[in-house]
Amino acid sequence: MSVLQIHNLSKSYGKIKALSDVSFDVPKGAVFGLLGPNGSGKTTLLSIILDILGADAGSFAWFGEPSTFVHRQRIGSLLETPNFYHYLSAVQNLRITQSISGRGDDAAIDEVLKTVKLYDRRNSKFSTYSLGMKQRLAIAAALLGNPEILLLDEPTNGLDPVGIAEIRELIKSLAAAGHTIIMASHLLDEVEKVCDHVAILKYGKLIASGSVASVLADEDCYLINAHNKERLIELIHQIPGVSKVIETQEGVECYIKDGQLSAESINQYCFQHDLTLNQLSAKRKRLEEKFFELTN
Amino acid sequence: MFLHIIKTEWLKLKNYLAFWLLLLATAISYPGINAIVYFGYDETTKPKNQSGQLLKMLLGNPFHFPEVYHTTAFLSSFFTFIPAIVVIMLITNEYQFITHRQNIIDGWQKPTFIWGKFISVLLIAIMVSLFFFAVATVIGFIATPDVTKVELFAKGKYIGLFFLQIFTQLSFAFLLGLLVRKAFIAYGLFIFYGMIVENIAGAFFKLKTAKFGGVDYGQFLPFEISDRLIPIPPFIGRFNEAEYKIALSAVDKHIIYSLVFLVFTWVLSFYIFKKRDL
Repeated sequence: MSVLQIHNLSKSYGKIKALSDVSFDVPKGAVFGLLGPNGSGKTTLLSIILDILGADAGSFAWFGEPSTFVHRQRIGSLLETPNFYHYLSAVQNLRITQSISGRGDDAAIDEVLKTVKLYDRRNSKFSTYSLGMKQRLAIAAALLGNPEILLLDEPTNGLDPVGIAEIRELIKSLAAAGHTIIMASHLLDEVEKVCDHVAILKYGKLIASGSVASVLADEDCYLINAHNKERLIELIHQIPGVSKVIETQEGVECYIKDGQLSAESINQYCFQHDLTLNQLSAKRKRLEEKFFELTN
Repeated sequence: MFLHIIKTEWLKLKNYLAFWLLLLATAISYPGINAIVYFGYDETTKPKNQSGQLLKMLLGNPFHFPEVYHTTAFLSSFFTFIPAIVVIMLITNEYQFITHRQNIIDGWQKPTFIWGKFISVLLIAIMVSLFFFAVATVIGFIATPDVTKVELFAKGKYIGLFFLQIFTQLSFAFLLGLLVRKAFIAYGLFIFYGMIVENIAGAFFKLKTAKFGGVDYGQFLPFEISDRLIPIPPFIGRFNEAEYKIALSAVDKHIIYSLVFLVFTWVLSFYIFKKRDL
C-alpha cells in the first residue's frame, strides 16, 4: 500500500520549469530518499505535497485520499529551514506545534527534546541556539507525537558528525518501528545508508525511482585482476554480454548488462583461454556513481 | 475552532515581551494625550479673570459628561499609529520567522491562519477601545462638577464609533503588513501614507470637489473613511458651524463605508493568503 501517490506533478516559476510530470509512489513503511542536484526540484516537490505551493498540473494523494489539513497533521515535517518563533523557548515553540497539529502533549514534548538532546536547553530562547541546535529542534517538532509519516528535507543540515550519525540511527530506528520516512538529501552517502527506496530528480524531471537495489542493479560490475593485464583486457572484451571495460588502479572493472553473465562464466572463459585470475569480485555500484552517471 | 485558534495565538504572544511593552506604550499614550489636553484646558479656563471666563464661554465644557466621550475619542484617534506597530508586527513576524509557512505545514488551513490574525486584531481593537473608555470615564468624573445632573452616556455612541474606527484602521495596517511582509517598510508606508499622502490627497479632493461633480472623493480614502466617524468635537466645531454640521450628518454614512471597508480588507487578506505561494 502507498502512503503517498504522486501523479504528473508540474510546476513552473515563470519560464523555469521546476517540476515536469513527476510521478511516483511512496510505499508504507519505506525510507524513501529524494535525490537530486541543487535546483532539481526536490524542495518544490515537498512544498507541493505539504500544500505550501500550488502545482500547475497533476495531483497527489496521502493515504489514498486528496490532501487535506488533517493529513498534514499526521505528518511530521521539516521543510528547508527550522522555522520557529525566535523569542520563544524550545518548549514554548513545541507547544505551538502541538496546538496546531494536535500531536503529543507536555510529556511528549519533553520526550522529543530528550531524543534530540536539547532537553537541557529546553527553556532557552530559540534565538540563542546554534545552527545545529535549531536543526535538532526542527527534528524534535517533526517527531512530536510519534507521527506515522516523517518528511525530512536535508535533516542533517548544520549538524556535527556525531549529530549526523545520531540522526541517521534515529531514522533507522524509526523505520524499524514502522514509520514511513520521506527524506530529501544531497548527501548520497546518507541516503545510501538509510534509504530503501529512492527517486532521483534532475531539472525537475524524474530520471529514476524504485527500490535502492533496483535503481542500482541495472548494471553489474566485477573487479578482475590477473598477472597479465593486457591479455586480461583483451579476453574480457571478447566475452559476450560485457558492455564496458575500464582499467583502474585497483584492477579491471567489467560491466555486464542486466545480469547476463555470472562471475563463474567469466572465470571459466579466462581459464579456457589460458589466463588464471588472481581476483574476481562483484563490485556493487555505489549510489554516488549511479547518481553522477544519471545526472551528468 | 475559534477557541483553538485563540489558544494558539495566545501561545505565540503570551511570552512575547516586545508585544506587551508596545501594548503598555499604547495604554500609556491614551491617558497621556488626553490628560495633557485636559489639564491644558483646565489651566487656561481656571482663572476667574475675564480672559479665562471668556475662553470657557467660547470652548464650553468639552471634558464634562457626556461630551467627554466625543472629545477624548477625537483626541485619541490621532494615536492609531501606536497600536498599528503591534498589528504590523503580528503579521510581519510570521513572515520573518517563516512561521506562516510552518503553521500550514503543521496542519492549519490557510484561512485558519488569517482567522487567527483577525481575532488578534479584533482583540487589540477591543483592548484599545477599553483604554479609551477608561480614560474618558475617569476624565469625565474628574472634570464634571456634579455627575448626578448629567446624562453620563448621552454621547456613548462615540465609544462604539471609536472602536469601529480603530478596528478599521488597524485592519488596514494588517493588510499593509500582509502585502509588504517587512515590518519597517510596512510601518513606514502606514505612517507616510496616513500622515502625508492621504492628507495631500484629501486636501486635493476637497479643493477640486466642484470639478468632480460636487462629490468629495476624499471621503473614500482608506483613512478618511473611518476618520470621519469621529468629527471634530463641538468646542472646535463652533468656529465653523456649517462644516461641523455637515461632518456630524456624514457620520452614519461613514459607519456604512467603514463596515464595507472592513469587510473588503479582511476578504482581501483571506484571498491574498490563500492565493499566494508560501
